[in-house]
Amino acid sequence: MIAEPEVLIIGGGPAGLAAAREAVKAGCSVVLLDDALTLGGQLVKQTHKFFGSEMEYAGVRGIKIPEILLKEILDAPNFEHHIRTTVSGYYEDGVVTAIRDEKEMVKFRPKKLIVATGALEKTIPFPNNDLPGVYGAGAVQTLMNVYGVVPGKRGLMVGAGNIGLIVSYQLMQAGMEVAAVVEGMDKVGGYWVHASKIARLGIPILTRHTILEAKGQDVVTGAVIAPIDENWRPIPGAETEIECDFICLAVGLSPLSDIFKLAECEMVYVPQLSGEVPYRTSEMQTTTEGIYVAGDAGGVEEASSAMIEGAIAGFAAAKALGKVIPDYESRRCILQDELERLRSGPVGEHIRGGLCQCSLEHKTEMN
Amino acid sequence: MEFIFEGEELAGYEGEPIAAALHDHGIQVLKYSIRHNRPRGFFCAIGHCSSCLMEVDGRPNVRVCVEPLAEGMVVRRQRGKGNLS
Repeated sequence: MIAEPEVLIIGGGPAGLAAAREAVKAGCSVVLLDDALTLGGQLVKQTHKFFGSEMEYAGVRGIKIPEILLKEILDAPNFEHHIRTTVSGYYEDGVVTAIRDEKEMVKFRPKKLIVATGALEKTIPFPNNDLPGVYGAGAVQTLMNVYGVVPGKRGLMVGAGNIGLIVSYQLMQAGMEVAAVVEGMDKVGGYWVHASKIARLGIPILTRHTILEAKGQDVVTGAVIAPIDENWRPIPGAETEIECDFICLAVGLSPLSDIFKLAECEMVYVPQLSGEVPYRTSEMQTTTEGIYVAGDAGGVEEASSAMIEGAIAGFAAAKALGKVIPDYESRRCILQDELERLRSGPVGEHIRGGLCQCSLEHKTEMN
Repeated sequence: MEFIFEGEELAGYEGEPIAAALHDHGIQVLKYSIRHNRPRGFFCAIGHCSSCLMEVDGRPNVRVCVEPLAEGMVVRRQRGKGNLS
């Protein structure tokens, strides 16, 4: 049997849940699929408080946001969700297949599809980077904050972006030692507020440093780090060996864009967005009619903008289905303005630069 | 509740990912790689990287970072591609 919801959403993180909320409230029949054990995506491990304004739940801990997003829709008769359901295909007749509970195949032929699959942690090349004990920093955050299990006693953090900084602080809070944070760039990539917190705890943040190798036979027992020159080459003779039993890689994420490729959406590689992403309109529709993108799947950014993109996509899909949405244009403008505000200033510069490269409106203008 | 890892009875919490239960016991090596037989462990925690595939109740290629633990489960390190026997 093929189910035919008006809107199918792939991914129950901040973008997918925000999309679901708008589409359900607009009266669409919505099915949301997620491959994890719980809804909320990576919000479930974010024990820190959010920034931004009220619209992004500033001051609320990430872990609380999924229930806020779900509150209005969880019991709605036009909303259905499936966890532990991994999408496995998209076919030319518009059918989406998924495997539920590792057992049964389920099929959907939605009128509109919103892809909010998020992103995957990257790795970097160095000898022994596959040893057990070399973990994604976000994965360690899940292990600690969701399941209460610590990864070891003493760790090395690679990358001083927000994930590297926040996870370093949380490792300390959980009673572990952080030997150092190494960062290849000449400055900290994340917010100063996070960097200051860990600097005050005495964790050295070594900019212009990289990891050369992980040490160990079966599991990590140490790491070799070194300063690098302006061409990112390690300075010979300056290596230091660090004793640690785990290494966290916080070297960025790449968008999970497989479904767009299956659906033959036109793609473009945008370094500022960390990978290959679909072209999209300001209403988040890709070049394949009826397929929308929201959140990190369309370019790695953060949860606040993902929620707003999700809302825009959910809204736009409902409108395209002919649902009556009072004040559509003005509400969309408010969301659009909020996105621009989040991406304003020097911090948002690379995101703005990246988004021009995949904006369909921008592409049309250029031609 | 109890589960079995490589013939040994271990305690864990029902519903937590198998990988979390194993890490709680300090078990980091989850499988051996296909070509070079290298030890592999937990990496992405979202079921995407294939670094944590194990044999669970005789079923190979189970992503233990997203597979909930159940009473009496038999968990083994996977070698190579795994067999459906």
